[in-house]
Amino acid sequence: MKEKEAHIDFDLHPLVLYVEKEDGSYGSKESASYLADHYLDDYFEKVKKWNFELKDQLDKGEISPVYYYMIMLELGEGDLASRTGISRRKLKKHFKMEAFEKMSLKLLKRYADVFDVPVSNMLHFTVINEKDQEKLKINYQDTNNPYITISKIEVKNEGN
Amino acid sequence: MKEINFKHKMAAHCESGTVTALLNHSGLEITEPMVFGIASCIFFGYFESSNFPFPMFIVRNKPGSIRKNIAKRLGVKFYNKSFKKPQQGIDKLDSLLSDSQPVATQVDFFYMEYLPAYIRTHMNVHFLSIIGRNETNYLVSDSYHREKAELSAEVLNKARFVGGHMAPKGFLFYPDYIPENIDFNKAIVKGIKKAAHDMIKLPVPFVGVKGIRKFARKVTGWPELARDVDHLSHEIMKINIFLEDQGTGGAGFRFLYATFLQQAAQRLNDGQLEGMSKRMMAIGDDWRNISYFAAKIGKNRDLGKERLNELSQMINVMADKEQAFFSELYKMVK
Repeated sequence: MKEKEAHIDFDLHPLVLYVEKEDGSYGSKESASYLADHYLDDYFEKVKKWNFELKDQLDKGEISPVYYYMIMLELGEGDLASRTGISRRKLKKHFKMEAFEKMSLKLLKRYADVFDVPVSNMLHFTVINEKDQEKLKINYQDTNNPYITISKIEVKNEGN
Repeated sequence: MKEINFKHKMAAHCESGTVTALLNHSGLEITEPMVFGIASCIFFGYFESSNFPFPMFIVRNKPGSIRKNIAKRLGVKFYNKSFKKPQQGIDKLDSLLSDSQPVATQVDFFYMEYLPAYIRTHMNVHFLSIIGRNETNYLVSDSYHREKAELSAEVLNKARFVGGHMAPKGFLFYPDYIPENIDFNKAIVKGIKKAAHDMIKLPVPFVGVKGIRKFARKVTGWPELARDVDHLSHEIMKINIFLEDQGTGGAGFRFLYATFLQQAAQRLNDGQLEGMSKRMMAIGDDWRNISYFAAKIGKNRDLGKERLNELSQMINVMADKEQAFFSELYKMVK
């Protein structure tokens, strides 16, 4: 790849490419993600659509929050089973509400920890209206009790 | 923040970048492509496993093997240790930092909060150097980030001690012995030989050139595995991510390997090897075209049978080219 072809100006997602310089030598050049530069909006649209569709399935009781988070975070079933220490057979059962609603709080927390959400988020979604998302954010504050989290809706500081 | 004097620099890949930076810090002048090539990193593998949400491919050898192969071929000795008990791993890291020793650790990429959220997936084989700490935070040097970054101790510890496929177990390493006289020429030849061997001679149907052919064969069946057309589009566009964005230096490490071959040719004064580096750069350009093609058809949802057959054919051509390339390379160093 010629050096001039490697010029991609996308500050959010820099990366290093190895290129052919003008003198014929090969070396590194700081560039950026071509995919993110051209198609990031498409990715966010897909994520939005999946979120909407999966929440609709949750609403109808067709899937459980375990399945919702696994798909949204693109985790493999085997990997999720290994991360939570739950067998794949049980994990598959937990994709459905019938088994999910019988789950102990302890087990629920094991899933929440892997999904990196407060355990309450396995049963509750706090959503900021799209028009306010640039201004507001949700800040999760842990307490000494591992099952209790305080969700604070805060105004974003400039530049964050 | 107590910070160790450490030269932070972006690199193409996290593991080769981290090993290179630590070797440089220890006084061994070596480039990232040279580390990559001597460690025989160039590779291909196509995997279908429950550990992944969808079939995927890799374009380098097994994580961790860069350090191991560098140790074997250059005679460098690394301190390396994983930990059953997290507190022991935390204490060891803190004690090394107190001794002003920068140290690499293995983490789950998901928790690297200084990187954009959309790229952070659960992937347990990310490597970075820890180069300082205070009471609450660690200072990290990550090849994928322009500047040094801070991570809270809570987050770094979580990232080091998660479970799952290839769990990091708090793994730490740093070079603790660099030989005075290193036979680079011998190491280069061994590195090339092993890489070429693994690309064409491993008797496993999903690795090396056979893996590229399997990828070509299987990609036409991806629509049956996808939830819907948007999911299929996402997975097809991830071909671009695996080849370009996941720390490869572009074209699935082929540009990085071409650079290694050029540096090797200069060191060995070998014109034939210089020619091979040009060929590898051209092979990289063809892989990059596959990346662009996958991104375009994915974005346009142009994912009918005919288009996927076209993609499959492009990948098959790469298998032919890499079969010829690595066969010739193997003969050169045999």
